[in-house]
Amino acid sequence: MAHKILVIDDDTHLRESLAEVLDMEGFETLEAGNAKSGIASAKKQNPDVVIMDIQLPDSSGFQICQELRKHSRDFILIMMTGRFLSAEEKTQGLSLGADEYITKPFDIRELSIRIRQLLGRKGK
Amino acid sequence: MTEAPKKRGRLFYKLLLIFLIVSLVPLGIVGYYLVNLSQLTLNRAISRDQEALAVGFADTVSSYIINFRNVLSDAAHMPDFASMDTAKQQALVSHIMQLHPAFLEISVVDASGQERVRLGRFVHDTTMRDFSNNPLFTRLMRSGEIVGGLERYMGSYPAITMGVQIVNLQTGQPEGAILAKMSLTALSSLLKTGFPETTHTQAAVIDSDGFLIADSDEKEIYKPDAKLPDDVLRVLLQNDAKSGGGELVLQSTGERVLGAFAEVADLGWVVYIQRSISVAYQASDDMLKRTWRMMLIVTVFVLFLGYAVSLVITQPIQALREAAIKLGEGDFDYFPDLSMPNDEIGELAHTFMQMSESLKVKTAEIMTAKDELERLNRSLENRVEARTRELRSAQDELIKKERLAAIGQMASVVGHEIRNPLAVINNSVYYIKTKAAAGQNPDPKVAKHISIIESEIRQANGIIDEILGFARTRELNPKVMHINSYLEDLTMSFPVPPHIELVKSFAPENPYVNIDPDEMAQALRNLIKNGIEVMPEHGKVFVRSEVVEGNMVRIDVEDTGPGMPKETLEKIFAPFFTTKARGTGLGLAVVKKVADRHKGRVEVSSVVGKGTCFKIFIPVAQGAPPPPPPPAR
Repeated sequence: MAHKILVIDDDTHLRESLAEVLDMEGFETLEAGNAKSGIASAKKQNPDVVIMDIQLPDSSGFQICQELRKHSRDFILIMMTGRFLSAEEKTQGLSLGADEYITKPFDIRELSIRIRQLLGRKGK
Repeated sequence: MTEAPKKRGRLFYKLLLIFLIVSLVPLGIVGYYLVNLSQLTLNRAISRDQEALAVGFADTVSSYIINFRNVLSDAAHMPDFASMDTAKQQALVSHIMQLHPAFLEISVVDASGQERVRLGRFVHDTTMRDFSNNPLFTRLMRSGEIVGGLERYMGSYPAITMGVQIVNLQTGQPEGAILAKMSLTALSSLLKTGFPETTHTQAAVIDSDGFLIADSDEKEIYKPDAKLPDDVLRVLLQNDAKSGGGELVLQSTGERVLGAFAEVADLGWVVYIQRSISVAYQASDDMLKRTWRMMLIVTVFVLFLGYAVSLVITQPIQALREAAIKLGEGDFDYFPDLSMPNDEIGELAHTFMQMSESLKVKTAEIMTAKDELERLNRSLENRVEARTRELRSAQDELIKKERLAAIGQMASVVGHEIRNPLAVINNSVYYIKTKAAAGQNPDPKVAKHISIIESEIRQANGIIDEILGFARTRELNPKVMHINSYLEDLTMSFPVPPHIELVKSFAPENPYVNIDPDEMAQALRNLIKNGIEVMPEHGKVFVRSEVVEGNMVRIDVEDTGPGMPKETLEKIFAPFFTTKARGTGLGLAVVKKVADRHKGRVEVSSVVGKGTCFKIFIPVAQGAPPPPPPPAR
């Protein structure tokens, strides 16, 4: 059974293209356009991986991070950002439960390999 | 006293005036009063003298008349005169006339008034006259003796009639009288003798009717209507006093005269003496003249004395004044060449000298202070100017920084926003590429274009990285580390293309530096990348470290490329300046920024055709402990 990846991003094109590429790479993908529906979807679907933009219109990535980790520590959380992150931001994100950072634009194959490695480490 | 100053000051004349006033005014006032008083006293004395003269002469006149009466009286009272016969009486009378020439006529009259004897000096008439009705005779018989009946005898001689009774000594009854006319011209002679012409004095004797009896000018007497001037007569006749005197202005001539009068006892006559005022008061006038002469002499003397004293007082003051003027002109070395008196003025001069000396010193001090102040002022101006330049430069720098910050902020926003579409494109291209490769007979041209798109995405991403790297304003995160190992790690991980030879040479001291490894790596990578880019065919890139200036580490990145002209070198660190066909022009700006943030600097030297060398100077970390092993992540 393919691993479930939840993509949370308010940019529809990015979200859809990423979802489709990951789909093509052999993952099952779910999409959410904002924090609220993302959290709801995560709680309902129990994805293996959550890839989320650090900046969402209704909430900051860190708050979603906390919210999601309250529900479960079992999934892999990857944060996406369009800009450089400061060391503090990185530290904060990691301490709140993020597993990885990727900076837009990213190489899909590289992302795919990373996801598989992380999943492997988690024993999934 | 030396030579007098040419110009006398006002003080000189003031002193002179004061001297004159002080000495002459009291003198004048006292003198005036004294002279007036003396003159008055003198004039009164003169007047009194004249009055006394008049009184004296009145006595003389009286005595003169009485004397002659006594002669007659003596004869009449002879014990046997009454009993004498006429011849005897005539002989006696003749004898009297011979003795006394003043008698003009003498008659002997019996008690009934019949003339018995008649003798005349000039008239030899022997006709006996009857005197019984003669008023003089009547009065004589009643009173015993008379003097009166003034007349001009023979029309010219003033004469008087006097008579005495002939008394019978046994019976005591009057038996007749002796009547005599007597010439009074002798009185005029007396007056002339008493008041000769040289005394400028006129004297006269008049009777109570104004009849001129005698005059010091004898010629007056013989005039038939001789009399004194009317105004004099008026004064004399209206006056009841026995004697007196005073000043009088004669109406006829306008002459001022001093007059004096005295009544002659029993006769009712008046002796009048008159002198011209100028003559009478000559003594007092002389005194006045002498006084004025004395005043003049005193004035001249005081003038001379005042002049001398004023000169003595004002001359040193004048000299001091000149010295003060010189002082005012700034001549501190001029001292009046004077022997100053040993008094207040001398002390003033001494004080002045001291003041002059003190002023000289003070002025010198002030001048020095002024010079110093001017010097300081200039220095201050220079410093202000320099500071202003610095401030302006700092301000320019600030403006530049703010502008760059604004540009950076904008670039950051733009870059971030572009990354999303780039990511979408990237995903889509990947999708297409995967699908195309999986399909039947993939078109090689499609594959080529896909790879072009991918390459351009990378390029665009690199540009955004550069912009965001430059604009980023995060805190520096320095770590103390060995420079050599840091450079070693950096160069080892750098993808050097095969046509480039990377040559490393590191400082043997291997000093510690305190650097933010990420930022410094970005700067050094930019330099190495640039070096590689300018050598498309082959070349060397040198990476060196060296301790210089004692406490600085210099990191060189040198290439053997074409080099750059001087104009390019000047602008090379400016943001957005580039010589490449494609590039943001931020690579070297980032290098400079990093060097600045590490309290260092960057320099560049280039030789066209030989190559370019960038040198980053950063301080050696002083006494720093060896860095802890980097945390594994």
